[in-house]
Amino acid sequence: MLAIALFAFAGCAALCLAMDKHFSELLGRKPRPGQTLVLRLAGWLLLALALAAAVRHAGWAIGLAELFGLLMASLCLWVFALPYRPRWLLGLAALSLVLAPFSALGLI
Amino acid sequence: MKSTAAGLPLSYRLAVASRCLAALFGGYALAAMAGVLLSQWLPLPRADAVQVGMMSSFLFYLGAFIWAFASHSAWRAWLGILLPSLVLGTINGLTYWVARP
Amino acid sequence: MKEGFRQAMAWLHTWAGLIFGWLLFAIFLTGTMSYFKPEITRWSQPEVPVRALDIPLALGKAQDYLQRNAGDAPNWFIQLPDERTPGITVGWRGGDGQRGFIRKTLDAATGAEVPTRETRGGDFFYRFHFQLEMPYPWGRWLATFAALMMLVGLVTGIITHKKIFKEFFTFRPGKGQRLWLDGHNAIGVLVLPFHLMISYSSLVIFMYMVMPAPILAGYDNQDSYFNEVFGGRDLVAASGEKAPMQALPQLYARLLAQAPEAKISWLEIQRPGDRNAQVLFVPDGRERVSVQRGAGWRFNGADGSLAWSARPESVAGIVSGGFYGLHMASFAGPLLRWLYFFFGLAGTAVIGTGLVMWLGKRQVKHARSGTQPFELRLVEVLNIASMSGLILAVAGFFWANRLLPVGLEGRAQWEVNLFFGVWLASLLHALLRPGRRAWGEQLALAALAWTALPLLNGLTTGQGLNHSIPGGDWAMAGFDLTVFGCGLLFAWTAAKMLREPLPTARRTPKAARTPHLEAETN
Repeated sequence: MLAIALFAFAGCAALCLAMDKHFSELLGRKPRPGQTLVLRLAGWLLLALALAAAVRHAGWAIGLAELFGLLMASLCLWVFALPYRPRWLLGLAALSLVLAPFSALGLI
Repeated sequence: MKSTAAGLPLSYRLAVASRCLAALFGGYALAAMAGVLLSQWLPLPRADAVQVGMMSSFLFYLGAFIWAFASHSAWRAWLGILLPSLVLGTINGLTYWVARP
Repeated sequence: MKEGFRQAMAWLHTWAGLIFGWLLFAIFLTGTMSYFKPEITRWSQPEVPVRALDIPLALGKAQDYLQRNAGDAPNWFIQLPDERTPGITVGWRGGDGQRGFIRKTLDAATGAEVPTRETRGGDFFYRFHFQLEMPYPWGRWLATFAALMMLVGLVTGIITHKKIFKEFFTFRPGKGQRLWLDGHNAIGVLVLPFHLMISYSSLVIFMYMVMPAPILAGYDNQDSYFNEVFGGRDLVAASGEKAPMQALPQLYARLLAQAPEAKISWLEIQRPGDRNAQVLFVPDGRERVSVQRGAGWRFNGADGSLAWSARPESVAGIVSGGFYGLHMASFAGPLLRWLYFFFGLAGTAVIGTGLVMWLGKRQVKHARSGTQPFELRLVEVLNIASMSGLILAVAGFFWANRLLPVGLEGRAQWEVNLFFGVWLASLLHALLRPGRRAWGEQLALAALAWTALPLLNGLTTGQGLNHSIPGGDWAMAGFDLTVFGCGLLFAWTAAKMLREPLPTARRTPKAARTPHLEAETN
């Protein structure tokens, strides 16, 4: 279940950064052309990986429920902490991205 | 649609009350008739068609609520809910009497 | 409604939300608590000892007890222990108790009757959530209609919300209505799948009751429909011929041989000791999302042969059972259950923020004139009583559970009476005090009442946190820690409400009230 959460959280972060407004606010510069597209694709890819992890963990029915639960939780954490601890959240997203594959492979 | 309750003409208040009734009772009639229609015509075993009919009926209720408050006048709100209910009801009635004379 | 579709929907959102908001707040809060119904019941009945889970042993003990104490009863009911419910509950018809029904709690290992305090525990909040303590069927109808209005509120909210995708990740804390609106929108949108699921599924759960037309059009009556869909629940008559019943643990073993995955939570035994005895095993459906209503296996009690088992359900049955299961979350493990709990709180918060905004927006308009129209004051009082008042009432229930004498006649009802008594008192308090003060005082009292609950538990039962945490009793410790955490949250909000400087104390009370109220909604 950790893998689902990590992929979902990293995916949320990528999709948020894929928006011009949030990108410049969070990273302090304008996104280069194409960068937002890459981020958007990466975001959806990460969510797809979260889905795969969820289905493998608990099958389609419970897996989808878990995915939605963790995804909504990730979104809430991201959105409500963003005005207060943006750097902390970026760090957490990067950490999730790094740890997620290891968690999915059962290494942690 | 001013939000303050005070100082509104009586006709406006009556129109709002009329729309509420249209949504509440008209909407229920529409939902029930739509549910019955689905339960009778869906190509499923009878018990399943009944379940699908009941489950979908609430979407019609929801739609009726939105229609009742979105239409231009209270009369249109009633018309838009009662007319389809009557049509569906007629079809249902015919189906019912054909099926069990 | 000439101003266009979106304005009309905003109007509907505003007024449906206001009129049903107070009721929905209570429904959502008690429903959220019900995700921990067994834990609340466990806390409410601390006498029931926790034992290692052993279903065959529990079945044998329950049968022994019923044989000894209710041998002549026409029906037996057994609620088995599980990971979250430590005791066995047995019941039978035919006594002098309430409506001839007797219920006892047994020790899961010894089968001895546990003298528990009389309480409704978590079941009270669970029942209130959809019956509202009203007579059947009115409470269920009202609660189901409130669910429809929640659905209307959600859909009209989505239509009204102009920048649902553009502001998807937006939350701007700051002063004023903006904060409330952003908060309301963000919790509403981010947790939208849960909100939609929970409101629509409540309609599906009660569809047999509130939308019987499709059934009546196709069947002679509802019973014949239920028989066709579920079956297997028909009553059997006694033959009058005695026959010893098979041991329940043996029947259970036979059942597991057929359905190794089955987790049984409930048994109904008809005509025990008769040749026609029937034993129905009902699974708890925890291993999957879709709950099959009417699932079960029925054995002939005398010879132990399988008399009936539920058919595999159809796709339509899986879908409606899926909504049922998603709503009840019995499939959810601890982590997912906590998520359900938080999303339930999120739904409660969406309703609460909406109510606060309705008032705040209108109070701003009247701030300059210095008077508050009657209807705004009414909404203010109802807001306070329905939110902080309910929080106080819940605390009142738990305090009553620990402080009422164990032997009190009608004790369980007294707990409920105190719940409503505290709620009523909070309404009176809100009537007498100016808005912001009333919020602050009620929340401060709630903070005190909730944070002190673990202490009260420790003093009255000897199962306080100093025992439950070292002993690994996480249901007990979890309850205490959760109420303590909630209490801290209330303390924080109370401090915010009370700390804000009250401007111009010298004005006449009526004139002075309005500016506070304006500040209140900041």
